[in-house]
Amino acid sequence: MHRTTLGVPREAGAREKRVAIVPETVAKLAELGFDVIVEAGAGAEAGFDDAAYEEAGATVSGPESYREAPAEDPWKADLVVKVSPPSESEAKRLREGATLVSLLQPESNSELMAALEAEKVSAIALDKIPRITRAQKMDVLSSMANLAGYRAVLEGAAAYQGFMGAQVTAAGTDPPAKVLVIGAGVAGLAAIATAHAMGAEVRAFDVRPATAEQVESLGGKFLMLDFEESGEGGGGYAKVMSEEFIEAEMALFREQAREVDLVITTALIPGKKAPTLLPEDVVAELRPGSVVVDLAAAAGGNCVYTKADEVVVHEGVTILGYTDLPSRMAHTASRFFSANVRHLLTDMVGEEGFVLDLEDEVVRAATQIHEGERLPPPPRKEPTPPPKPEPPREAAPRKEPEEESGAGKAVGTVIGAAIAAAAFALVGLFAPEDFVQHFTVFILACFVGWQIVWAVAPALHTPLMSVTNAISGIVLVGGLVQAAPGGSGLPVILGAVALLIGTINVAGGFLVTERMLGMFKKGGPK
Amino acid sequence: MSANAITVSYLAAAVLFIVAIKGFAKPETAKGGNRLGILGMAIAVAVTMALAFREGTAGLPIVAGTVALGTVVGAFLARSLPMTAMPELVALLNSFGGLAAVFVGMSSYLEPGELDETERAIHLVECWIGVAIGAITFTGSVVAWGKLRGTFSGAPRLLPGRHLLNLAMLGAIVGMCWPYLDAVDADAGLQWLLILAGVAAVLGVTLVVAIGGADMPVVVSLLNSYSGWAAASTGFVLRNDLLIVTGAIVGASGAILTIIMCRAMNRSILNVVFGGFGTAGSAPAASGDGPQGEVQETDVDGLVAELKQAKEVVIVPGYGMAVARAQHGVKELVELLQERDVRVRFAIHPVAGRLPGHMNVLLAEAGVPYDIVLEMDLINEDFPETDVALVIGANDIVNPSAATDASSPIYGMPVLEVWEAKRTVVFKRSMSTGYAGVQNPLFFHERTRMLFGDAKKSVDAIVGQLRD
Repeated sequence: MHRTTLGVPREAGAREKRVAIVPETVAKLAELGFDVIVEAGAGAEAGFDDAAYEEAGATVSGPESYREAPAEDPWKADLVVKVSPPSESEAKRLREGATLVSLLQPESNSELMAALEAEKVSAIALDKIPRITRAQKMDVLSSMANLAGYRAVLEGAAAYQGFMGAQVTAAGTDPPAKVLVIGAGVAGLAAIATAHAMGAEVRAFDVRPATAEQVESLGGKFLMLDFEESGEGGGGYAKVMSEEFIEAEMALFREQAREVDLVITTALIPGKKAPTLLPEDVVAELRPGSVVVDLAAAAGGNCVYTKADEVVVHEGVTILGYTDLPSRMAHTASRFFSANVRHLLTDMVGEEGFVLDLEDEVVRAATQIHEGERLPPPPRKEPTPPPKPEPPREAAPRKEPEEESGAGKAVGTVIGAAIAAAAFALVGLFAPEDFVQHFTVFILACFVGWQIVWAVAPALHTPLMSVTNAISGIVLVGGLVQAAPGGSGLPVILGAVALLIGTINVAGGFLVTERMLGMFKKGGPK
Repeated sequence: MSANAITVSYLAAAVLFIVAIKGFAKPETAKGGNRLGILGMAIAVAVTMALAFREGTAGLPIVAGTVALGTVVGAFLARSLPMTAMPELVALLNSFGGLAAVFVGMSSYLEPGELDETERAIHLVECWIGVAIGAITFTGSVVAWGKLRGTFSGAPRLLPGRHLLNLAMLGAIVGMCWPYLDAVDADAGLQWLLILAGVAAVLGVTLVVAIGGADMPVVVSLLNSYSGWAAASTGFVLRNDLLIVTGAIVGASGAILTIIMCRAMNRSILNVVFGGFGTAGSAPAASGDGPQGEVQETDVDGLVAELKQAKEVVIVPGYGMAVARAQHGVKELVELLQERDVRVRFAIHPVAGRLPGHMNVLLAEAGVPYDIVLEMDLINEDFPETDVALVIGANDIVNPSAATDASSPIYGMPVLEVWEAKRTVVFKRSMSTGYAGVQNPLFFHERTRMLFGDAKKSVDAIVGQLRD
């Protein structure tokens, strides 16, 4: 198994405080065959100092050290792991044949993709990891969205000048804040849960009616739209909706805007500009002092007044367009990010060490560039729904099979009795007397058998089966009668064969039953 | 021997059979029941011999020799096979019953005795029915036997258009009756009977190959029932009331077991026989969704520590325990826990294993007293008070989606609610699905721990640690 060097450069973006790999992960990666090189100060803003990395077994190197030992440059490692997409100049520092693992947003970063292609590297986009069950533990987008949803409520609450939960004080009583969450994806659900936990009254809307249950399980009230259209797109995202739908939706938002104090919008459509959910006329309905937190700010925003990374105040309404919400919780965000990356790498390490296996569904989907060649998107597979939050503990009401089969049994009995009666009447009318006698015996025997077998203990069902099996070997009597005349005629031979196998059946059946029953013992007093 | 004496003797045999089965109501009386059954059979054979040899003993050597040989072979099978092979043996013996009915039917066709016109017609039809049921029972049981012992794959084989094919064969079985009845002489008629036996034999195969391994308890019960009806139809062929009575009782018994098994799976008999369970519609649900989260593993040390703390332990055995032959280790485990004043009980699902009551027999074989082995209904409500539930080689019968997930193919099937226990440990080889092919959310439950590996080795390791 070969060892792979894994470089963790310092993030260059002004608002990027996260680090891709935290010290806790370094040791685990070492076990998997990775030698981790961390750029000095890479974790500083997330609260991980260089000493912690060194303690965990990583090599920490600054420009002065790798000028002397180029092998210690994190950008020259076999595998480079980053949070934000690298700049083009950073991309040029990668060495040929290296692999880059990072968020890449390939659709909006075509120049970067071209630069990576030119460097003949392989690039794995963490944001392109498919949303399938197996890859849940590697899903950076989900874990970051979870943080973003949580943080959005805190930022919104900080900007809002009232209480979130209801307050009863000597000076007067305040009702809880009313929070509207639009879009019940991972971020939306986290926001719902957070706002609910803070005591706010939460309502939520999503174009996918299937999310209603999840919203309600987290304490939100799902707003129903009186309109038949599901917005279920692929991979747990929503799709673009029809005009009529949007009109109905806007009417709902205008109505809600008059009541709510805090609006959190999380609507994203993959590869497209974020849909405008709060146009001028909806914002106009919001009361002064209310707050909008737009989680789609980086993709153009769900609110018309949103400006990315800025706080806009429009006629008393504060609109927060932060794009760095996870980074505002850099410590925790880095830990989650790092764990996601570790899960991905764990899956990629085979017996020979780290390999980029394009046969693997997850790796194939996430790999954008393979050894300098741009890969086409993988063939679409059946989309699976997004991870559902743990359902509430109470089991769904149990279907009562007893009653149903009881009713079914009654009907069955009646029908059976009717058929039997009809058959009996026919037999009585047409069959000779001798046959009717046998038939009577047969029917009576059926009833007797029916009565006594129900009383058999379930524990004895196997012995019952084997004893009835033995008894059914009574056909040997038939064989005996046919074979009795002797000689070598065909009937005699057939009879003899029947007698033989019938006897095996009888003897075997009874003896096996005997053997089984011999084992059933009652426990002695203890 | 007078005709009345024979009738009375047959009546006595029939009554003995009835009383025998009645004895199976309780484990205490079952053994006596079995002896009465043997007595009944002995009387039946003796009386029949007396009747058959009334007019001459030319066939005596053949008959005596055959009976002796059959008894030796049967006894050998019964004695030599291990208890784990019991399901196969029952299926195999069942096939013999069916085959015997085929031969008796043919033989009687050739030697019908003296009959008037109407009686002759009825006798012909009776032979027809007897051969058909017998042949279906025979090949069906052989296929079931093969599936149970693993010679054939347990997975359902679905032939294209099998419903049409089965229907066509059923139609042929009924349709061919007419040319057979019109046959000019015995040879022509026998040919029709042979063709019939062939078609019915194929039908027996196609019916049973389509049924999956988990449904084996139902199939074996159903075939058991068929073998009874085959005996009853033979009784009609030979105008012998004893056969009719016995066949009817066996038929009813098999039918009841079939019903009990179907109820335990919340499925109708038609669904089992024609369903091809765990394939067609339900499979994508199984493969697509995959696990719902992470499984949490435990090891022998961890489990032993938990068992030492426990006061109430319930063991849920499944077919996996039988396959791993872990029942003896389980019995030792039970004794060691009982010495520590832990109350240990077993929870048995009606369809656990490959035969109705299969688990009870295995546990009895290992020497587990039957009064701590409880049926599902008696123990299900005790799970919330259970400290540790050990699931050994069971899967579908402890699947919570049967109770909660309406889209699950096993929805509505009563299951053992082990997830209610304070801790559930699942002994399993791997994360593969059970026979129904559905994923089991139990494995991802927060209070569930998985103990991967061979059940016997795991149990033995636990026993070893508890002993120290």
